[in-house]
Amino acid sequence: MEIFQWDTNPWGQETLIRISWDLLYLFFWAGIAFIVFHVLYAAVWLPRLAREAANGGGGEAAAGIPEKIERHTLAARLFHWVMAAAMLALLVTGFFPIIGIQFAWVTIHWIAGVVLTISIIYHVIHASFYLDFWSIWLLPADLAEAAQRVKRQLGGSGGGVQRHAKYPLDHKLYHTAVMLAGLAVIGTGLVMMFRIENPLVTSNAYLLAEETWGLMYALHGLGAVLFVMLTLTHIYFAVRPDKFWLTKSMIFGSVDREQYLAHHDPSRWVVSEKPAASQEPAKN
Amino acid sequence: MAVIRDKMPAFQLFQPASTGEALGVLDQYGADAWVLAGGLDSWDWFKDRVKKPAAVVDLGGIESLRSIRSFGGTVEIGAMATLREVVRNPDVSSQFSLLVEATELAASPQIRNQGTIGGNIGQDTRCWYYRDGWSCYRAGGNICYADTPTAMNREHAILGASRCVAVNPSDTAPALVALDAEMVVENSGGQRVIPAQDFFIGPAIDIMRMTVLQPGDILTSIRIPSTWAGQRFYFEKSRDRAVWDFPLANVASAARITNGVIEDIRIVANGVAPYPVRFTAAEDAVRGEAVSDETAERAGEIAIRGVRPLAHNGYKVALLRNLVKRSVRGAEA
Amino acid sequence: MVFAKLLLSPMPHARVRRMDASAALAMPGVEGILTADDIPETEAPNEASLTNEPHYEGEPILAIAAIDEETAAAAVEAVDIEFEPLPFVLDPMESLRPGGPNARSQGNTMAGRDLSTIKWDSVNWNEYDRGTMPLGGEVTDEWEVGDVEAGFAEADLVLDETVFSASLSHQPLETRTSMAYWQNGKCYMHASTQSTARTEGGTARALGIDPTDLVLIAEYCGGGFGSKIAGCPQDQISGLLSRKVGKPVMLRVTRQEENFFGKARPGIQARAKFGFRSDGRVVALDLMMVQDGGPYGRSGDYMSCADQASLMYQPEHMRVRGLTIYTNTPPRAAQRAPGGVQAVAMFAPIVDNAAKQLGIDRLEIIRVNAPEGQAVFGRPRQGVQGNVSSAFVKEAVDKARDEFDWAGMQARSKQRNGTKVTGIGVALSSYSAGASGVDGLLVIRPDGKVEIHNGAGNLGTESFSDTSRAAMEALDTPWEQAEIVWGDTSKHLPWSAVQAGSMTTHAHTRSNWAAGLQAKQFLQEIAAAQLGGSPGDFTVSNGRVYRSGSPSQGLSFGRAAELAIRAGGKFDGHELPEDINEMTTRAATGLAGRGLVSAAKDNFETGGRNMSYAIGFAEVEVDIETGAVQLKDYKVASDAGTILHPQNFGAQLHGGGIQGFGVALGQKWVMDPQWGLHVAKRFYSNRPPTILDVPTEREMAWTAADLPDPFNPVGCKGIGEAPVGAGAGAVLNAIADALGDDVHFNRSPIMRDMILTKLNPEVPEAHNLLTTHV
Repeated sequence: MEIFQWDTNPWGQETLIRISWDLLYLFFWAGIAFIVFHVLYAAVWLPRLAREAANGGGGEAAAGIPEKIERHTLAARLFHWVMAAAMLALLVTGFFPIIGIQFAWVTIHWIAGVVLTISIIYHVIHASFYLDFWSIWLLPADLAEAAQRVKRQLGGSGGGVQRHAKYPLDHKLYHTAVMLAGLAVIGTGLVMMFRIENPLVTSNAYLLAEETWGLMYALHGLGAVLFVMLTLTHIYFAVRPDKFWLTKSMIFGSVDREQYLAHHDPSRWVVSEKPAASQEPAKN
Repeated sequence: MAVIRDKMPAFQLFQPASTGEALGVLDQYGADAWVLAGGLDSWDWFKDRVKKPAAVVDLGGIESLRSIRSFGGTVEIGAMATLREVVRNPDVSSQFSLLVEATELAASPQIRNQGTIGGNIGQDTRCWYYRDGWSCYRAGGNICYADTPTAMNREHAILGASRCVAVNPSDTAPALVALDAEMVVENSGGQRVIPAQDFFIGPAIDIMRMTVLQPGDILTSIRIPSTWAGQRFYFEKSRDRAVWDFPLANVASAARITNGVIEDIRIVANGVAPYPVRFTAAEDAVRGEAVSDETAERAGEIAIRGVRPLAHNGYKVALLRNLVKRSVRGAEA
Repeated sequence: MVFAKLLLSPMPHARVRRMDASAALAMPGVEGILTADDIPETEAPNEASLTNEPHYEGEPILAIAAIDEETAAAAVEAVDIEFEPLPFVLDPMESLRPGGPNARSQGNTMAGRDLSTIKWDSVNWNEYDRGTMPLGGEVTDEWEVGDVEAGFAEADLVLDETVFSASLSHQPLETRTSMAYWQNGKCYMHASTQSTARTEGGTARALGIDPTDLVLIAEYCGGGFGSKIAGCPQDQISGLLSRKVGKPVMLRVTRQEENFFGKARPGIQARAKFGFRSDGRVVALDLMMVQDGGPYGRSGDYMSCADQASLMYQPEHMRVRGLTIYTNTPPRAAQRAPGGVQAVAMFAPIVDNAAKQLGIDRLEIIRVNAPEGQAVFGRPRQGVQGNVSSAFVKEAVDKARDEFDWAGMQARSKQRNGTKVTGIGVALSSYSAGASGVDGLLVIRPDGKVEIHNGAGNLGTESFSDTSRAAMEALDTPWEQAEIVWGDTSKHLPWSAVQAGSMTTHAHTRSNWAAGLQAKQFLQEIAAAQLGGSPGDFTVSNGRVYRSGSPSQGLSFGRAAELAIRAGGKFDGHELPEDINEMTTRAATGLAGRGLVSAAKDNFETGGRNMSYAIGFAEVEVDIETGAVQLKDYKVASDAGTILHPQNFGAQLHGGGIQGFGVALGQKWVMDPQWGLHVAKRFYSNRPPTILDVPTEREMAWTAADLPDPFNPVGCKGIGEAPVGAGAGAVLNAIADALGDDVHFNRSPIMRDMILTKLNPEVPEAHNLLTTHV
């Protein structure tokens, strides 16, 4: 298996041109393998953990907690689905031709890329100023919590394990991965616009040095194949029945009080009295 | 690796006597096999060691692929008929002189004696960067060397490019698209018949191929339906040299004209895009109109809508406009 | 025999950083390798056959010999080699620009004997960027006659133009293939060369042997056009590799390789300012020229370009400034009328334009300026310009005016047929037409045959044979009695002219005349000694020497040869003239005792430089909608003295003309400026003219003044060079004529893109007037 694709330039010098598409298959199967693993894991482990959890937590008073708790604002949901559509379009247009399904993909690809970029810019601004910016980021406390959870999963004491804040650790990890891969594909993708015909920039294949171009293509490819895996697993979780309440929240915006109390620590995700339908963005 | 040109490396040569036998070999070798017709395109690639197929399947020994037959007004030309045989065939010349004109302007007399109609249709682009082994998009790389700020692209595309700006250089292809011909393609799975217009693909769809032909496929024949038989034809090729020169642009049109009015017309050009371009908007605009300078002029103007000339080929816009104009106006004007 | 293949530079300028051929040499069937380290060092700026610092794409780095070419090619591919790219430049003007790259690490030009760097710091580069050749930059060559400023003050019309003439490859159909083997310390070399005698010394030097240890066999040469005047540097490869591997080695040079190292005509970027009197007479000419010198050697095209301009237009006041700048493009060499073709391609359109502006007949403006008699021209030596031996241009023009129906042609100018417009063009071209001072060598054998030895070479013009007729004419003996020996240095060839620059015809009619006259004298002396009387009493004629007035009292050539052998001394080659070349002495000594041997140097008066002239007449049809140019007719008139061989003469006039069509209509280089590499490497993309580009409707006609040059014993001059410029200039002028009096290209070749760009204002200019290799 190759990781990178090399080629010779007109002077006969070897030069990096992109990742090897072997990696596409690698990441695809890695995603599938994760899903298979998780299906088994969920079937064997989760019921046990769920029992323990039922015994342990969730005893707080429901007082002051509304029936519906807004988890994702309309704006955040719109962003998510626009981004998801763009991402799917990018993956399909980017990879179908590689696996042999040929069609005119470039225009759709770059337009989807531009949509994705705009949606991400919107998201960054929105999250920075209107959402709890830090709620999605991996923080030192998350690591301690992660250690505890692992301990419990491995049969150690379950004591002291907290319920989640707004975003559980796996969500945070996923977000981090998506962010890194996203930055890679968007950053490189925007530069790669100079290698195709489009109305936004005047193409200039010599904008960068040859090696830099190679790096751009490789990073773009790496981010993209990572997205294949991330997207597969993301969709998998979205359609898992036990996670469906989360998926619903991304569609309708809110979670039920029961789920909130079952999965989240009200002290870590403080919910206000305001009704879920409020148009005002939730702060904490 | 050091570059050596003009020295053909060894390959395994298969000379099957039947299409079935040829398809068997092609299946066996898959993407490592190369279908050889007249060799005028292939030998260049081999000699320059740019393409190094493991197996070469020479169709020259398959007699059935050489015949030119007529049935019910349709003329079916075997893909291995030489360009000279196409020109000399009475059915082709009496019904479809458009193809004869196009064929006679291809390459040189010597090449027309050896080159085949199938090879002329299926030939690869002559982009000089790509032909010289530069590792561009079309060769699997990530750049078009002909579309850089300093590139030499006098002979490249003004239409239909997508990353790669190479053009289809065939003279017979636009004539066949204009005549609404069909390409008969066989592989081990059977036969399929593809309209000429759909036979050619641009880089937007597949940057590494000029036609729909995949490994394992053989273009066996070209069928020209009677639809346009004996109608008014126009073919013109623009090139720098009187012979042995690929088109800077060419144009083929077939028109059904009654009492000076264009009832129907098909206008196709090559050498300006990665595939023979049909100008349907121009066709629509002149259909039902009288043949006149104004009508012709309008067709030319419509044909060049949406062109994207490169640094060195702006002249092709004027050339294409005028060729389309002439193709509507006809030879007499 | 084993076969060699070359490893070529993939870069326009580089250094070999690392090379490991062990894997290649370990391949079965591989016989050996020759690298730059195996060959004697070449002094800069000259070209070596192999190098570790290539200065252009395709320059040979090493050669590998193997049992067949397939194996040799595979072995070359197996060589592990790494190049370090170095700065490169393709356009001389870019090298002159301050901060611009130099083609060679040591500089970009030759000043005197040294490589040095010239940058044009003080010129207006904005002007250049707009397509005008800037003035005021430093040059290495300069001359002036008269007072050019005063000349312009006298002029009624001044045309100050930037002009460009493209570099183009020689493209002989026979590539520079060679085969060599060694036997008993002697190298036997079969090579592709234009000249035999003049190749021996250089090739022997390249092989590090004495010329007597080299047998050079080159009986036929399939074209050279100046690129193989004295052999090719690459001949060294087969010679030295053969010695190294101990087997005969053949190096078959491919078409692509020929493109790279088969030499090229230097392009010239120039500013030309012409001052005309109202009658069309050129009174002042000021030239500023930058020549694309390629990476090696010292090509003097731009200076000979100026000389030809001086000859053709005879300006009283003329100034020339110029320099050659090295570029990382194929090496340059003389190409059929070096400098002359560029002169016509650049200047004939200006003169033509002046005729239109002044309202003068376009043939008349040629005539009014044309040289006459022993006209003076060119760069002055010690303040004095040299002169030509003869010029009958006006006579040729007058003949052509009638024979070609110039009035009728003129009437067709600008006639329109649908979208096609007829254009008529006429252009004068001049060039050198002969050398002098070489040796003639013949043997009258006891069998009565006259064996004439010639070392000039055989480019297919068969002039080695035609010129031998002069010896037979001196002996007044039928041609059938002659045998010609040529093309093999083991067959005793005399010191001869290069077969280049149209030298042979003049040089060897003279040398053979000299040898013939001397043989005649020997025959007379032998007859007098044998039959009594004085030599002056005897006539030589019809294969006999006999007492004048009584043909029965005489000797046959065979009998005389026997007597010459018996007499020995000067009669049979045992005593030789002192003034002949060492090579001739060696050859004659080898022939001594085989008959009556006559070796003689051409000591005849030269009368000036021998020049010939061609006037091309072209008729084209230009389609203004497609830019298509169809050459409808081409005729050529000439002055090249007495016609020696009409068929060959006509073939030279028309063959040269066709080569000129290429200059005018399409032959060129296209190079990618980012990588410094050629992209139009094939005949279908670099477009030399083909036989189907030649007018077919009417057979091309020719005529000649056919007046003897007073300084040639048979009145003849060479005619190889001048016809190229005539073809180029006439076609260029014809295209401009068709497109209207205000259309000027000032650049060749004129291709469809240029025509359509001119005719369609909305089409943007793809490049400026001075851009190279597009």
